[in-house]
Amino acid sequence: MSDIPIIQIKNLTKIFGDGVEIKALDGVDLYIKRGEFMSIIGPSGSGKSTLLNQIGILDTPTSGTILLNGVDVTKMSDKERSRTRNKELGFIFQYHHLLPDFDALENVMIPLLISGVKSSQARKVARKVLDEVGLGDRMKHRPNQLSGGQNQRVAIARALVNKPSIVIGDEPTGNLDSKSSDSIYELLRKLNREHEQTFILVTHDEQMAAKTDRVIRLVDGKVVEDLRDGASVREI
Amino acid sequence: MFELDVATRHIRSRRRQTLFSIIAVALAVGIIIVFMSMMSGYMSILIDSTIENQAHITVMPKEDEDYIHLYHGLEKHIYGQEGVEALSSYFLGEAALQHEHDAEGVLLYGINPNDENRVVNREKDMLTGEFTSLENPGSRIILGYTLAKNLDVEMGDTVTAQIPGAEPADFTITGIFQTGTPVDGTLGFTNLERLQDFYGAGDVVTGMGIRVSDAYAADTMANKIDRETGYDAVSWIEQNAEILNLLETSEGMVYFFYIIIFSISGFGIANILIMIVMEKVGEIGMLMAMGMSRRSIMLIFLLEAGILGMAGVIVGCVLGYGASLAIASITIPVPPEMYFGMDHLPVEIELKNFISASIFAMVINILAGVFPARRASKMDPVEAIYSV
Repeated sequence: MSDIPIIQIKNLTKIFGDGVEIKALDGVDLYIKRGEFMSIIGPSGSGKSTLLNQIGILDTPTSGTILLNGVDVTKMSDKERSRTRNKELGFIFQYHHLLPDFDALENVMIPLLISGVKSSQARKVARKVLDEVGLGDRMKHRPNQLSGGQNQRVAIARALVNKPSIVIGDEPTGNLDSKSSDSIYELLRKLNREHEQTFILVTHDEQMAAKTDRVIRLVDGKVVEDLRDGASVREI
Repeated sequence: MFELDVATRHIRSRRRQTLFSIIAVALAVGIIIVFMSMMSGYMSILIDSTIENQAHITVMPKEDEDYIHLYHGLEKHIYGQEGVEALSSYFLGEAALQHEHDAEGVLLYGINPNDENRVVNREKDMLTGEFTSLENPGSRIILGYTLAKNLDVEMGDTVTAQIPGAEPADFTITGIFQTGTPVDGTLGFTNLERLQDFYGAGDVVTGMGIRVSDAYAADTMANKIDRETGYDAVSWIEQNAEILNLLETSEGMVYFFYIIIFSISGFGIANILIMIVMEKVGEIGMLMAMGMSRRSIMLIFLLEAGILGMAGVIVGCVLGYGASLAIASITIPVPPEMYFGMDHLPVEIELKNFISASIFAMVINILAGVFPARRASKMDPVEAIYSV
């Protein structure tokens, strides 16, 4: 794991609402190193998903900066944000959001097709990644023909197919039974070791969080705890 | 193209709604093609019958003059013009026709029947007798069907023509014609020389009818004759300017109805697209998260509108063609002398109607797609993803 921060978040604040304002993020500072396998935990409404959407450049902050590989993403145009999401980020949500009219292989091909890769080349790469997540024999199945766990594996393959430097997961196992949940966690862990990609997972599951290398605890939009391998990383 | 792939999958996933919206567009296109074909048919039959039943150009005396005096020279000059096919000089005068106790005010039209037949085919309007019976100078007359009825006369009867300041003259009826127009009640044809005699006007005419090879160029030719000779030459286009204007105005009105019909089918397309957008909110959010641009998202739904519209247009063209053929083949049981001799609805199948109906439909269908497409492209990806 390299010590160079891939993500630097400085004094990040996000306020929702016009009339009654809700401070979802309140001056968050966070450095994330390349290849880290970390989790963000906290009670409902603590700002976990909001922080993740900021890192994923899906939303813009009210104030503060986010540097991704040294580039301030908060100053990017809509088009640049789309391009950066496509090249640098992979997303896994609680619900898989697979396109129901496309089969597993086609779903995994989508990020490549969006980035302009030829269909034949995309097919080749997607097949390899699907093999890697253990669905080599389910490529022609549509989402409604796969189990919840299998669909989530397809979603993981889709998140990884463009070789993003950061993979973010918002409750990636939230919809799954404990057995599937464990197997998904193991898969993510394996992929992190093999590809040295940064994994940031938001979860309710404290047990799962405890298995990650670093745990950030958010309360009321503030980082209240930052533990690496059980030890506090910094003074909060 | 990935956007096209997504668009076709969306459409295929909603087969029933897709089918209905295609049918709606197809019906609109089909109906409008039939309308347009019928309009074209009526227009051309109206224009054809005008061209057939009227001199293409009428030359009248100079201003402040009652007659064209040296008309033989003028005839030669006009015949020398390129495109002039036939010419008929005539003498037109008002008179009263009397038979026993019945009397009618009429227009007497003195002509050379062979010349007149070449300008306007009068022979085809003859109910009885022959138009060429007026060939030799003599007191013969051919009356309109209504006029003959009003005077209670038949073939071979004699009518007396009277004008102020001249001796009454008897004319024998050698024919009766019917055009289906008001002239049937007011017009009588006689020999030109006989009528010149009757009016005591000498060898003069009151006008000339000309037939040209290109009826649509009659305006230009009329202007040329007007300029070169100083006589007042008027084309059929100028004479019928009002009715032609009316036809153009009514065509404009019909376009207004076309817009309404197409808009209804356009709403069908907008409706299915709005449904798809609502159903695919999460998918749209995910595509945005994966880096698809807002422009591409918009393109997906515009393509869907285009595909549905195009399918509807193709089916509609086939439908319109078939319906036009079917309508054209229906025979209407009316006497052939009525309605310009039509015995079926005048349908003219023209490529330009298919093209304009298709373009018209496509423009409205794409416009119908703009609202749902914009709505999809303006979505906030976070809201879209978490809405599921």
